[in-house]
Amino acid sequence: MHIFHIRYRNTQGTLMRILGAASRRGIDMPFVQAEPSEHGHKATLLMDVNAKQVGQLCRDWHAIVDVIDVRPGAPIKELWDHAHLGIPHPPESAPSENSRAATA
Amino acid sequence: MRKGSQIVLDCLRAEGVDLVFGYPGGAIMPLYDALDGSGVKHILTRHEQGAVFAAEGYARATGKVGVAMATSGPGATNLITGIADAKMDSVPLVCITGQVRSALIGTDAFQETDVFGMTLSMTKWNRLVRSIEEIPEVIAQGFHWARSGRPGPVMIDIPVDMLKASMEFRGALKFAPVRPPEHVGSESTFATTLIALLQQAKKPVALVGAGAKLSGAVDDLQRLLDLLQIPAFATVHGLGAVQQESPYYLGMVGMHGTRAANMALDENDLLLVFGARLDDRVTGEPTRFAPHSKIVHFEIDPSQLDRVRPCELPVIGDLAETIPAFYQEAKHAHLPDFSGWRSVACGPERADPKATGLAHPTRSFLDELFSRMPEDGTILADVGQHQMWSAQRYRGSSPRGFITSGGLGAMGFALPAAVGVQLAKPESIVLCVSGDGGFQMNIQELATVHRLALPVKMVIIDNKYLGMVRQWQQLFYERNYAETDLSDNPDFVEIAKAYKISASLLTEEEFVDPAKKDDVAAKLDRFFASRQPELLVFECHPEANVYPMVPTGAALSEMVFEE
Repeated sequence: MHIFHIRYRNTQGTLMRILGAASRRGIDMPFVQAEPSEHGHKATLLMDVNAKQVGQLCRDWHAIVDVIDVRPGAPIKELWDHAHLGIPHPPESAPSENSRAATA
Repeated sequence: MRKGSQIVLDCLRAEGVDLVFGYPGGAIMPLYDALDGSGVKHILTRHEQGAVFAAEGYARATGKVGVAMATSGPGATNLITGIADAKMDSVPLVCITGQVRSALIGTDAFQETDVFGMTLSMTKWNRLVRSIEEIPEVIAQGFHWARSGRPGPVMIDIPVDMLKASMEFRGALKFAPVRPPEHVGSESTFATTLIALLQQAKKPVALVGAGAKLSGAVDDLQRLLDLLQIPAFATVHGLGAVQQESPYYLGMVGMHGTRAANMALDENDLLLVFGARLDDRVTGEPTRFAPHSKIVHFEIDPSQLDRVRPCELPVIGDLAETIPAFYQEAKHAHLPDFSGWRSVACGPERADPKATGLAHPTRSFLDELFSRMPEDGTILADVGQHQMWSAQRYRGSSPRGFITSGGLGAMGFALPAAVGVQLAKPESIVLCVSGDGGFQMNIQELATVHRLALPVKMVIIDNKYLGMVRQWQQLFYERNYAETDLSDNPDFVEIAKAYKISASLLTEEEFVDPAKKDDVAAKLDRFFASRQPELLVFECHPEANVYPMVPTGAALSEMVFEE
């Protein structure tokens, strides 16, 4: 699991482009948080990627017009716990029988 | 006071736009209403995809930003293939679409689509305009991003009420980015490292892609290659960047490249990449690509690095700056003599075997056509077998002389793109080579060619198949020609005549008949001499294949030739 901190200007579609760089590669993101920060906005993403994907993602994010800064880092334990335990996935409101039917 | 539609056109003029391609509809009607007297000429195509490909052709021929416009909903979605094409091939393009009025957005109104959302992943930048006051800044910013750095497509979606509204307009804006692009130029130390790598190398090679042409670095590159004297080859988009007669030039590389180029790319120990993405059509099986080489990648777009595997030395920046910077250092350095390696890589034993198979007449036909093209002419190839034959036979050395949809491989590209090229270069000869499948994908643009009396020279290589797919079915699917048979094609000559375009047929039998050699030559001469649009249909063997070929999953060295 790797964590990425991306600072960006919160213009139309920039967050979607940031997320799209991962989703186009079929990478799951167990934790995503976007929030205002000191200069612009900051997105924090947690995902299971290999070293090659880390490089590709960072370069893709840098190429987005309104991305200011990208910092990959080691996983943070609280985020990992939060991603796996704090947030139910799939959402609790989904009845379990329906979930089984959907995956059958 | 000026209306939003007038402000859009004022801003386009301020960006140097005098020609746009498009197709009207409900949500963009105010913009069309304002065209008259705006100084912006509009070219009506017969489909929005024709408009965006024509804008691409114009941009690819000139290096300027191409502009296409369409209405909301289906008009906008019909632009999408062209936008994706421009993204893949780094074409500066601005698409302007009308959108339903602001109050209806999100209500599934008539002809409403979320074209902003749809184009997020295939544009460099896009915007949904939310107020008339935004228009000058959005257009200025859109053009900046379309043409800056690695060029690409931009999409601007304008609700119809913004086009109808009015405001005080103080003139177009110029956009200056907050963060200037990262710059690695002559002050960097890459040149020292690269010289050291060259001094250690035994078998260095140069791979030239579109970036060398887009950056305007062709002359600088030629000077550098003349200095290094190492084997060099080009991707399909790099064709024309290196002088064909250069003694170290090996032609096109990749899936249908020359044996010499692919062998050199497989064997090298130092690979200098100049503005190429290294996609799978160039590398063959990526895990077996250039197994012994260290990669030095000259590239303006950092996101293109390490796609295949990590490069030894990235040289990030505009090739028009980085190549001269390296040349200045290299010309004073003591570099090894690579003549031994060059004589092996460029030696006669590595030449492709003489073509004698089913495709030989078609390749000879293309040679005859291309030999009649002036140096400033432009050849467009659609997508398929004829595209690869054309790329293999292209002998020009003009940076914008060979245009094709290389990255996306969008059939139907060539005819509308030829419209854009001919409008950009009205005095020049524009030759459009299509297959029978691709030509029918945008055949309606014959009407545009006729309306504008564009002297485009159109050739259909008609094998009555979707030939490239059929070739793969023959080679890898035991000749199961599933849904690739086009033997019930329409009569292209009669269709062209219905569009009031002169057309004729040439069969392969006629072409190879020695008794008709003079007649064929005269026919081709007349074809090029006319200043009217002309269509020539060349019927070739249905099972002619493109060779050499690197099969899927094979290394470049495992290319196969016609038996």
